Amino acid sequence: MKTLVLIPCYNEESNIKAVVERLRSVCPEVDYLVINDCSTDGSEQVLRDNDFQYLSLPINLGIGGGVQCGYRYARDRGYDITIQMDGDGQHDPAYLQQIIAPVASGELDMCIGSRFIEKEGFQTSFMRRMGIRIESALIFILCGKRILDVTSGFRACGKCMTAFFADHYASDYPEPEAILSATLNGFRVGEAPVRMQERQGGVSSIIGFKTVYFMIKVSLSLIIDRLSFNRKGGASR
Amino acid sequence: MSITLQLELIAGAVCLLLIIFYMLKKDLLSVKYSLLWLFFSAVLLIFAAFPYVVYVLRDILDIEVPANLIFMLLFCFVLMLLLSLSIAISQLANKTKRLAQSNALLEKRIRELEEKYFRP
Repeated sequence: MKTLVLIPCYNEESNIKAVVERLRSVCPEVDYLVINDCSTDGSEQVLRDNDFQYLSLPINLGIGGGVQCGYRYARDRGYDITIQMDGDGQHDPAYLQQIIAPVASGELDMCIGSRFIEKEGFQTSFMRRMGIRIESALIFILCGKRILDVTSGFRACGKCMTAFFADHYASDYPEPEAILSATLNGFRVGEAPVRMQERQGGVSSIIGFKTVYFMIKVSLSLIIDRLSFNRKGGASR
Repeated sequence: MSITLQLELIAGAVCLLLIIFYMLKKDLLSVKYSLLWLFFSAVLLIFAAFPYVVYVLRDILDIEVPANLIFMLLFCFVLMLLLSLSIAISQLANKTKRLAQSNALLEKRIRELEEKYFRP
């Protein structure tokens, strides 16, 4: 099966080399593609010097726009499975098979790597866990699907799912919104247990008070997504 | 309303119309976005030329001072215009996103071609 790992990268010059090299040593059989979202540090230089496979966005699109670009690439080149993995080193490629398996067997269209099923490894701060729990409940209310780790950016998608995301991918808070829109459009979404690590270097994009602000915005866009789906009467697959 | 004031208002409305037509002609404004403006200046011209319309509207809407009707209409117009601009910006942002993505995808293909043909 042709498999592609997408690694969104924004100002990760200190991490990206280690992340890609680890991926290549652990899973040499999969292709990978780093998506450099117009980083302002030396990320692009690192990618070029190491002769990595990468896309270079001419303007900063944010995580949603960047990842969508990766899905377009995967669709254009006919990959069977597309995986998303963060560029900051918190996702361990050793668990790649775990999330690929349900998709490869055709059991799921999208499989999310979840750190909350077995509650092992890095579990993130209390505030964030609460936030994730609330978003998880909201998604359950809106579409009846119980996903624990809704903000996890470690996920595998099948061919149909990839084609869908290439055309429709939320740009603001893509991880939870992708779960909702995939479920509403009839795709099967599930989770597999993985262990995550604390990020190796650099800074996370969401910290402190921003967590609350972020949560309110995510909830709002999820609700709006759900409402607009009803209007369209569904079937945008 | 004095005749001088009325003439001034008519001149102002005509000026606005001319400016919009000029901008359309010079391609500074696309037809799509000019419609609201044209509509607005036409209404303004009617109000200036026939103030009677304002009084009738005031009676229908039951507003005491005609000037308030004008202010209200102006406010509504500005709101509509702002909303239409927000819509336009959202659409443009979406198009820019698609364009940037296509650009990145093409750039990758060019790099691959260069590697294949220009690097020994």
